[in-house]
Amino acid sequence: MAAFVDNIRAVLNGENSKYHVNWRYFLQDNITGSAWQTLWIIALAAFAVWFTAGQLRALPISTGLILLVWLGTLLLMARNELVKKHSALTLWLQNNLYSSVSNVLITLVLGLGIIAAVWGFLNYALFNASFSLDPAVNAEVTNFGREGARWGAVRANFAGLMLFRMQREMWRIWSTLAMLVVLAIPSFFIYRNDRHKGTWYRQLLTLSWLFTPYMAFYFLRGFGPAGQPFRFAGIFYALGAVALGVAAGVVQRRYGEGRGETMPWRLLNPLLTLVQYVLAPLLVVYALSVFAGSGPFYRLQVDQMWGGFLLTLIISLFSIVVSFPFGVLLALGRRSQIQGVPWWVTYPAAAVITFWLLRDAPATAAEARTLLGQALVYWPVLIPLIAYLFQNTFKGNVVAAFCTLYIEVVRGVPLITLLFMSIILFPIFLPPNIEIIDTWRVMAAFTLFSAAYLAENVRGGLQAIPRGQYEAADSLGLGAFNKYRLIILPQALRIVIPAIVGQFIGLFKDTSLVFLVGLFDVLEFANRISTQPDWLTIRTEPYIFLLFIYFIGSAAMATYSRYLERRTGVGER
Amino acid sequence: MASTTPRSGQPNILVRAAQLIFDTRFLGVIAQIAAVVLVVMFFSWVIRNTTANLDKLGAAQFLCRDGTSSFRCAFDFLQSDAQFDISESSIDYAPSDSYWRALAVGAVNSIIVIAWGIVLTTILGTLVGIAQLSPNWLIRSIARAYVDIFRNTPLVLQLVFIFFVFFAFFLPNVDETAGVLGLPIYLTKRGVFYPSIVTLSSAAIFIAFVLLGLVQAQLLWNFLARREEQTGQGSNRLLWALLSFAVVVVIGWSVASSRPSTHGIMVPNSLRVNDFDGLETVIRNRFSVNGIEDLQARLDAWEEVRAAIEAGDLIVDGAPVTLAMVDDGSVTLDQIARRLNTGPLITPALVAGGALKICAIRDTKAFLNFTAQLDRAGFPYTVNFNNRASDATAAYADGECEIYIADLTRLAAERDLLESGGAHTIVEIDEPPLFLSIPRLQGFNFVGGARLTSAFAAVLIGLVLNTGANVAEIVRAGIQSVSKGQTEAARALGLSENQRLRLVVLPQALQVIIPPQTSQYLNLAKNSTLALAVAYPDFWNVANTTINQSGRAIQLMLIVMGSYLALSLIISAFLNWYNARIKIRER
Repeated sequence: MAAFVDNIRAVLNGENSKYHVNWRYFLQDNITGSAWQTLWIIALAAFAVWFTAGQLRALPISTGLILLVWLGTLLLMARNELVKKHSALTLWLQNNLYSSVSNVLITLVLGLGIIAAVWGFLNYALFNASFSLDPAVNAEVTNFGREGARWGAVRANFAGLMLFRMQREMWRIWSTLAMLVVLAIPSFFIYRNDRHKGTWYRQLLTLSWLFTPYMAFYFLRGFGPAGQPFRFAGIFYALGAVALGVAAGVVQRRYGEGRGETMPWRLLNPLLTLVQYVLAPLLVVYALSVFAGSGPFYRLQVDQMWGGFLLTLIISLFSIVVSFPFGVLLALGRRSQIQGVPWWVTYPAAAVITFWLLRDAPATAAEARTLLGQALVYWPVLIPLIAYLFQNTFKGNVVAAFCTLYIEVVRGVPLITLLFMSIILFPIFLPPNIEIIDTWRVMAAFTLFSAAYLAENVRGGLQAIPRGQYEAADSLGLGAFNKYRLIILPQALRIVIPAIVGQFIGLFKDTSLVFLVGLFDVLEFANRISTQPDWLTIRTEPYIFLLFIYFIGSAAMATYSRYLERRTGVGER
Repeated sequence: MASTTPRSGQPNILVRAAQLIFDTRFLGVIAQIAAVVLVVMFFSWVIRNTTANLDKLGAAQFLCRDGTSSFRCAFDFLQSDAQFDISESSIDYAPSDSYWRALAVGAVNSIIVIAWGIVLTTILGTLVGIAQLSPNWLIRSIARAYVDIFRNTPLVLQLVFIFFVFFAFFLPNVDETAGVLGLPIYLTKRGVFYPSIVTLSSAAIFIAFVLLGLVQAQLLWNFLARREEQTGQGSNRLLWALLSFAVVVVIGWSVASSRPSTHGIMVPNSLRVNDFDGLETVIRNRFSVNGIEDLQARLDAWEEVRAAIEAGDLIVDGAPVTLAMVDDGSVTLDQIARRLNTGPLITPALVAGGALKICAIRDTKAFLNFTAQLDRAGFPYTVNFNNRASDATAAYADGECEIYIADLTRLAAERDLLESGGAHTIVEIDEPPLFLSIPRLQGFNFVGGARLTSAFAAVLIGLVLNTGANVAEIVRAGIQSVSKGQTEAARALGLSENQRLRLVVLPQALQVIIPPQTSQYLNLAKNSTLALAVAYPDFWNVANTTINQSGRAIQLMLIVMGSYLALSLIISAFLNWYNARIKIRER
């Protein structure tokens, strides 16, 4: 200690000791370098003093503690800097908190500010809060959510926030969860180890995962009318369908393998693939649904029953999964380079159509009352322009043009207009005798929306594949289908996995919009808590809870995405 | 030799057919035909369904004025009366206006939010992006936490949180609010009140002079710079430019101010007020003071006395004096003043009782101008607000107030309507080209200044905070993409940190930043539709109300989607142009 004081004295006196500090350089670097710097330091110091004084009055103990820690670490760092003997701690302090005079002051102000904010929040959320379910207790404890939280509002409505009315059908929820757990436990071991690659049980597990969404759907919605007994026959139908798929697989592997480029197999192989991966699974799903939909799993009124966080999860999972094939097809379509329509077909056709549509435009325009109406009568004059753009941008490629148009239109309009379109316009666009409930329509809108964004992500992946891969596939004599199935898509999709997870996070957050079109998602339920007699006007606590849920969900997925990015080695080839 | 076998190299018909089928060009043609057929079939199916549905609903969707129904009349309904109110609008609007007008109001509101949002997002995002790379760990962590929180929670939840929790619960009531950092900016449950610059009729002249001053200062600057280059003699360019600018501005102000005023006040002749200073005589007589300063001094003296009374330090006749005793007159102010040996006193209640009573039409510029002048001079006044001129005139005629403030022409017209028109004087008041209007609490509301409604503020704050977090990530990535060698090279050249950032890092980082920034701006524009959640009347909200009101879903959806598509195209076209402009030309 005595040596330390001596050191300080030596430094302050500017003696020519071995701990000499050149104060002139120090001042020039930190304070007197320029007029702006001086002004800044003076203003900052004044603010720091004012702020610290205020904080000392408001929170004497914690502020005093912080001040002591600040001063102590600062002195420790300064001392170690002088004797040029840094410990890991002081080095970190110097680099990250006390690198200059202005940073020293900023550290103090921000440290105190953070403490005040955290202290205020803890007071509100914990120390002054009430966790009681009894509204009378809460009325005494707090006043308009300012002094302390009334978490009772969240506790009392927890099941509703999570499940809405499905909390009355817990048994369906448990069944779904049980199914997921039963599959997840072996997956944890089997997918982690490459030893199991290609084994029959791993394939069976993958197949089961593919069926999970369908089964979850039938568990959660039900199938048949109420009061029906279990129909075990469904299981046998399902086994039959499995047998069909297996048979197709056996035939293809036994005879079709390696003959893909010769005639009958060239047609038969895709058919067998279709049977194995599309037809048989569909039959299995249908057969199992006959079983799963019977007994207690009778059909629910989805619009009335589904809601809360469950609905959020269902919509986001459904749309990302279902939009996947559409997204891939749209991306391939947009990039397709097939021979386009030649200009000598497009332009004459456009001219003929334009004149035919405009044949009685002047007469119609005279009758239209609004300027917009008159302008709209002449819309066919845009056709030549469209034809020009079509020829110029897409080289006459109809498929690319349609895919691009779809992607850009969906990406160019706000999601909420698509949602309202699904609610207001879908019923007008569908045949009069078909009625589709709101939930399905909203899910369809999300799927259409998601497909466009997914297509752009996949396109990014396709663009990242070097041309050599395409050429290699061509030189192997692979057809277009096999080229994409075996060479291009596996690589492209691996690249875009992080982007797709990011898109899923976006969807997960965007599903909170559905309350605007009248679905009872978690946000709508939180809004309604403020109208419950026990919890009148309470909004803060449910909203904080929701922010917390969404934050945890999104942050966890983002972390997982970063992990995937590292593991799949995107960016390092 | 007759032979049925094909010539060598000519495969049989089956193989040729297969070749044709798997030929990519042929497949391409088939795919395109299939695409066209599918799309045409889909749309004709939709149109057939639509017509069937509309037939069932009734053909009112496309009703013409003459009672017939036709597609060409699809948009005629836009000219009918909207019959719904819009809570805030920057252009004149009343429920009796057409749907067109209502949609225009919504569009203007949207554009205001989007434009401000883009500007503020850019500022916030850039600052936070740089803060994420700060050498100070705390700044870094706070920036990081902000970005993480706002990127990982839904925007609509943030909006309702800001609107229902921050504004409706957290902020104080209008009459309990204190300014932010001592400035006259008030955050209240009813929105944000802040000072604003009000332009009056001669503002155009003044602004023209300011522009002229800018131009000539620039010219002078250029001239001096050229001379400096030619002669090598230094001159104080900044001083000359500023000085000449100031001269022109001062001339402009005096020219604009010398224009005849259009604002005035009407007072009863009995008040004997012939000019603005006459008001001070009124105050002087009414409170028996020597002037406004004297009144203010007495109020200040009272504040100290009041503190003493509240502390129980003032004892008269052996008992401590209370404020209630002062109110009921058992202890007079003179007594207290003598006792404490202060100057003469006056209480705020007395001042409020004798304040100038003003009749005004709500939010007129004449009113803002007059009250700003009263505020500057320190006059006490109370305001009787009226929504229409006729109400204000009636209030004035009933003697509810002694000063009627309006435009001179209106005052003259209203005086003619009064029964005793000759008993009133009209006094012209100064009309500066522009002035700073500062919000001031009057009863339970603010007078003067400008106001952001809580809905608008919530939408703007939510959009800016949310998009700002994304922009911060983009800016950070952009700055980090500039290789370390560039920084080291800049330092080796002796550039300051500021110059390094401005001349070396930013131009290169912008290349990386602009393309993703574009999509963030587009997102902001599209996300502004979430204003629906907090009932801010943006374009989409008004369109939605119009759909409910008129039932014309298809037409309005076309208009809305078309508008947002167009907006997206405009923003991305502009940023593409900008991106091409700033692109570093590589040799």
